[in-house]
Amino acid sequence: MIELENISKVYRTKTIETLALDNMNLSVSQGEFLSIMGPSGCGKSTLLNIMGLIDEPTQGRIEIAGQNILNYNGKKIAKFRNEKLGFIFQSFHLINDLSVIDNVELPLLYRRMGSKERRRLAEEALVQVGLKNRMKHFPGQLSGGQKQRVAIARAIVGQPEIILADEPTGNLDSVMGNEIMEILLRLNKESKTTIVMVTHDENMARKTNRLIRLFDGNQVH
Amino acid sequence: MVKHILTLIWNKKKSNFLLFLEIVLAFLILFAVIAFVTHNVRRYVEPLGFESENLWVAHLDLETDMDSLTAVNNKERLLQELSQMPDIKSVAYGCNKTPFRNSANITGHDDNGFYLLSWLYRADEKFDKTLGLKLIKGRWFDKSDSNAKYPPVVVSQKLLDEHFGEREVLDSIFTIEDDQNRIIGIVEHYKAFGGEFTDEKPLTFFYRPSNSIETPSLYIRTKEGANIGLEEKVNNHIATITKSNNFIIEHIEQSRVLKSQETWVPIIALLSICGFLIINVALGLFGVLWYNINKRRAEIGLRRTLGATKGNISFQFIVEILLVVFSGILVGIFFAIQLPLMDIFDIENSNYYYAILIAMVVILLIVLICAYYPSRQAALIHPAVALHEE
Repeated sequence: MIELENISKVYRTKTIETLALDNMNLSVSQGEFLSIMGPSGCGKSTLLNIMGLIDEPTQGRIEIAGQNILNYNGKKIAKFRNEKLGFIFQSFHLINDLSVIDNVELPLLYRRMGSKERRRLAEEALVQVGLKNRMKHFPGQLSGGQKQRVAIARAIVGQPEIILADEPTGNLDSVMGNEIMEILLRLNKESKTTIVMVTHDENMARKTNRLIRLFDGNQVH
Repeated sequence: MVKHILTLIWNKKKSNFLLFLEIVLAFLILFAVIAFVTHNVRRYVEPLGFESENLWVAHLDLETDMDSLTAVNNKERLLQELSQMPDIKSVAYGCNKTPFRNSANITGHDDNGFYLLSWLYRADEKFDKTLGLKLIKGRWFDKSDSNAKYPPVVVSQKLLDEHFGEREVLDSIFTIEDDQNRIIGIVEHYKAFGGEFTDEKPLTFFYRPSNSIETPSLYIRTKEGANIGLEEKVNNHIATITKSNNFIIEHIEQSRVLKSQETWVPIIALLSICGFLIINVALGLFGVLWYNINKRRAEIGLRRTLGATKGNISFQFIVEILLVVFSGILVGIFFAIQLPLMDIFDIENSNYYYAILIAMVVILLIVLICAYYPSRQAALIHPAVALHEE
């Protein structure tokens, strides 16, 4: 599903050059739930951003769903991201001025789709995360766990093949974290959605199919 | 997408309110100034109907210490002697209601079966040529008109337009100033009352021979580039013949310029204020957009991550600001439209509609110009960087 070959990422400033990823190779199968662990600054988020096509590697090759993405132009990459990828972030990234349902609809705005169909899909996604009764609420009226569930609904509303989750339980207590994890596991199991999750939580990582660890931009085992 | 943007604007109505209010006020001020300017400029471009350059008027004092026979003789002598000067093209007598003044004789009555309002002028047989009036029908006065059964009058096209419509009036008789008069000619324009920024008035010329005591103003058309000493010569002639220095020679072109300045000065002042206002609005919009973009970097990053193209981001910011501005303009139009509907001022309604259109186009153009660059910058925000900042 995801093939990374010899991926390197170097951040350059005037005075310093930082190697975030060093010749990284990674293969993620369809339907797999992969977790990535490692200390802060080891390149986990950089790797996830590169898989999510919101950052470009300095060198290497990326193939997602059989397509060599680095040859795509900006518009094509945006369309690919919109249709194939779903994102979940540690800090939720909900738009506070939009209601829950409007937040969930966001990815569908960038598709050719009528407003009724958008609304229907967003409602379905909210049902899946158990938040149908909070549709008209605003993010400021929700708890952290509820916010993350809205973010999950937003990630799945477009029925992507891959979900990339960057520390989805990092800002939540253990009870809420477990709830979120359960939803992700259910998605992976029932919808066969491929999930790549960055986490600091060993317990969460153990629940996934495979765990890789990064250190200084390299996979350690 | 537009529905989504409308939702976003509605949810952020508190933060958009000041911008909305600024646009309503800017629109109303711009509308008022443009209505005033178009109203005046449209009157300014209407033809005067006569040549103001190289035209002098000597306001004679015929009544002080002078019996009427002497006055008549003096008038005729002046006409003859000045006409023979090489630098003078033509000389005529008319009433003292000279161009670019606000004094006039006006009559209004319904003796003809309808209400007729007319400005009244008295002129001799050479008045039309001396001033350069254009006759579009009939003829100007001549000496034979002194014995006419019905006193002859020449009317302006404006009088016909306002009171007679399409009716053929040449040679017809109508009552004005309690007398029955025959219309013998029609002049195209004569915008003498007020100035260039005054509406042309409907008017009637009455014939008075050049020796009439009722036409004390001497109109002198000089040749172009006339000798610089001509005014002194004319002055001396008048003083010698009338045995009086109690007169002035007015240069009609100077009077035109001075009179026009009375309106140009406020027009330029108002346009300057509008210019500053527009700059302020532009800077305000620019500031609001920059602030919005910096405040919403995470949102921009998120939208890009979720599949928005750079074009989608630019479009969103431009449409957001356009919709807020447009709603401000709509409210402004609601207030502005009351002026033509209620007919409060003596301004033709079309000026208000032009002003609404121009003010709307100007504000929308400013918004587009000011929104373009920040929106492009918003589109260039790198999603990974913007999301990381959060």
